[in-house]
Amino acid sequence: MNAPAPALVASRPERLRLVGQRRQMLAVMHQRLMFGMLVYAGIIALIALRILWLAAFGDHAGRKEELTSFVPERGDIVDRDGQPLARTIDSWTIAVHPNKVIGDKLALARKLAALMPEKTEEQYFALLRSGKSFVYLRRLASPALVEKVNAIGEPGLAIQREPDRLYPQMSLAAHVIGFTDIDGHGAAGAERAFDDYLSDPKTRGTPLVLSISSKVQQALQAELQGALEHFSAIGAAGVVMDVHTGEVLAMTSLPAFNPNVPGQGTPDQMFNRATLGVFELGSTFKPFTLAMAMDSGTVSGPGQMFNCPEVLPAYGQVVHDTHPFGRQCSVAEIMMESSNIGMAQMADQLGTARQKAWLKKMGFLDRVEIELKERGRPLTPGSRWGPFETMTIGFGQGIAVAPLQLAMGYATLFDDGIYHPPTILKVGPGHPLKPGRRVFSADTSYRMRSLLRLVVMKGTGRKADAPGYRVGGKTGTAQKVIDGRYSQTVNVTSFAGVFPMDDPRYVVVVMLDEPKATPETYGFTTAGWNVAPVVSKTISRIAPMLGVTPDMNREPNMSEVLPFIHNPKQDSKKD
Amino acid sequence: MSTRSFGSLFMVASCAAAALGCYLVSLRVASERASLETVEARIVRTQREVRMLQTEIGTRGRLSQLERWNAGAFELSAPQADQILKGGFELARLIRPQREVDFQAPVVLAAAPAPQRPPIGALGDDDSSTTSLTPSGLLHEASLKTETREVPAQSAGQMPLPAESKSADRPAAAAKPAPLKSTDEPGLAAAQSSKPLKKHASTASARPAKKSVDKPVVARAKAVTKRIELAKTDPLAPLPERHSGTTKDSPSGR
Repeated sequence: MNAPAPALVASRPERLRLVGQRRQMLAVMHQRLMFGMLVYAGIIALIALRILWLAAFGDHAGRKEELTSFVPERGDIVDRDGQPLARTIDSWTIAVHPNKVIGDKLALARKLAALMPEKTEEQYFALLRSGKSFVYLRRLASPALVEKVNAIGEPGLAIQREPDRLYPQMSLAAHVIGFTDIDGHGAAGAERAFDDYLSDPKTRGTPLVLSISSKVQQALQAELQGALEHFSAIGAAGVVMDVHTGEVLAMTSLPAFNPNVPGQGTPDQMFNRATLGVFELGSTFKPFTLAMAMDSGTVSGPGQMFNCPEVLPAYGQVVHDTHPFGRQCSVAEIMMESSNIGMAQMADQLGTARQKAWLKKMGFLDRVEIELKERGRPLTPGSRWGPFETMTIGFGQGIAVAPLQLAMGYATLFDDGIYHPPTILKVGPGHPLKPGRRVFSADTSYRMRSLLRLVVMKGTGRKADAPGYRVGGKTGTAQKVIDGRYSQTVNVTSFAGVFPMDDPRYVVVVMLDEPKATPETYGFTTAGWNVAPVVSKTISRIAPMLGVTPDMNREPNMSEVLPFIHNPKQDSKKD
Repeated sequence: MSTRSFGSLFMVASCAAAALGCYLVSLRVASERASLETVEARIVRTQREVRMLQTEIGTRGRLSQLERWNAGAFELSAPQADQILKGGFELARLIRPQREVDFQAPVVLAAAPAPQRPPIGALGDDDSSTTSLTPSGLLHEASLKTETREVPAQSAGQMPLPAESKSADRPAAAAKPAPLKSTDEPGLAAAQSSKPLKKHASTASARPAKKSVDKPVVARAKAVTKRIELAKTDPLAPLPERHSGTTKDSPSGR
């Protein structure tokens, strides 16, 4: 028993040591376990928090608004009634990756040539063997063709959808709407002018509302196209404008192009004659001269008399008339018969400085104020603007403006003399009417009504009358400048009409470039024969759409002008 | 003891259950959200398709195409000024019936002549004259001519006599003008009847003393329908009697 005793004694410290070690080990193990547990707990807590976070603020939470509303790649353009004029739709595109074709290339080339015959088998085969990575075969493919190409089953063929700009009304108002380039950016018209609005993701969801009314536009364009073909003119332009707001309801330039395939349009078709083209518009300028003279006080009213000889020599030149009076004539007669001689005298009395000031005030010396980028700069005599030029400008020669500018001038004259810049955006809550500026006095504006109505009732514009709609207006036949000289045979004819004249609401300006004479016009190429009927037909069509009620019993106050018309037949009867 | 020792376990279990419940709720919400999103995606897809179809319809029915049909195929033109009416009144004017003179129509007089009666004093004496003079009889004869007036005339004829005495103080009824009906066209026929009218007038003026000549009629008529309107039978009544009525009257009156 002794033996174990020392062993016991000897083992005691060992044991003690062992116990101490074990304790230490246990403590370490506890620590490690605890640490591991904490790590796991931390990871789980992280995951749980992440899940909670995702549940609360994850992808689901914020995407609803985007999903519920459909935002096109590029904003729509609609007319004032909401009819789409330009839209972006998905179109099918067929392309090929020649280096990824795995089937028989010759057989594929044959099939492609059968489906898309614009290229021959050899061309397709050469294309497939070229080793290029990507070639377009057809853009804007029809669904039927896409189906057939898909049925070939070649993995190297790529059939994709990509956004494409479509103009459902084709060439209707093509110059106003414009078109986009291959990258989808506006290249002309409203597409170019409002490119930022149409491509900005924030705004492109709401369509751009133009002031154009497609029905009015169609009526104007169809009537003008008919006249263009009938009189073999090289071009035409037309504008319908709201007198009170300056909204352009229709604006056309012919020949037109198809904005769906702008590449096919010729430069002549692309040219916007209504805003970019400037023309000497002739006698349609005369009402402005008269209004200026009446407002300045140099002409007292329609009854003032002028000496109207057969020819008027002035400043070393001679002014002629198409229907010379050869007697004393009243202002009303000068307007009615569109006498250059009478108007030249009025402009002469007005003077160059005042004429310039008036034209500046009316906006005829600057580019036309409109949102479109295609704006022409008016042509004026510039430094040569002397007394004789003042006379010629008085009857519309020597100053070239865009047809839209002419419409703007008439709108100013008949909106109680207040100028509103023309706009192609619909005036409404999103685009309020800007305050205008007064150009003519309201009294002058009122007195011009009966004078212009007289022109259509008894004067040169008789063919422009649309019964019941009280059309007033002025014809204009200007000789074209060819090789620096006024041609005696080639004309630009125009008509500026306003209706209803007893309470003016709309302006119609129509212009034909180089119309030819026909048997019905008895060889004449003057405005009264070719553009005036266009105005009559257009107004008969558009007035009911615009809410103008025909009334055979209403007229402006004609008693202001009728007493000043010399009527030899009536006078002889009286005698 | 046991509950206390299991207390922590219960706590853990309930916590776990609560956590699970919360998780289930959030799972449910997530699944609802996902289905909602699917619906939204479908809506957007449908919108896109609707847009596509609208565009296609718009392109096919574009205004230049319509113009080609309207101007070319149908040859339509803008309405003339006189084809546009300003409102209901002008529209109503268009459907105004054509006025034609109907020569066959019976002649209607604006005012009724006074039938002749013997003086009140002679009423009891001469029975035959009174019977022939009773307006009911006259009315009956008259209504034989105009079919439209037959019913009130007959009813008036069948009326009992006692009302006669009461009606004595209503002289204005006979003078009430009868409203003209569409069949009663005053025209040439009226001109033809001017002669008998004068005759009646002369007879009426010949006996101004008899005030109540036409009153019985009114009284009876009133008794039929209890409406003043029945007076319109009155002026019409003597009118066809131009032939029959006057002949009956003539023996007693003249």
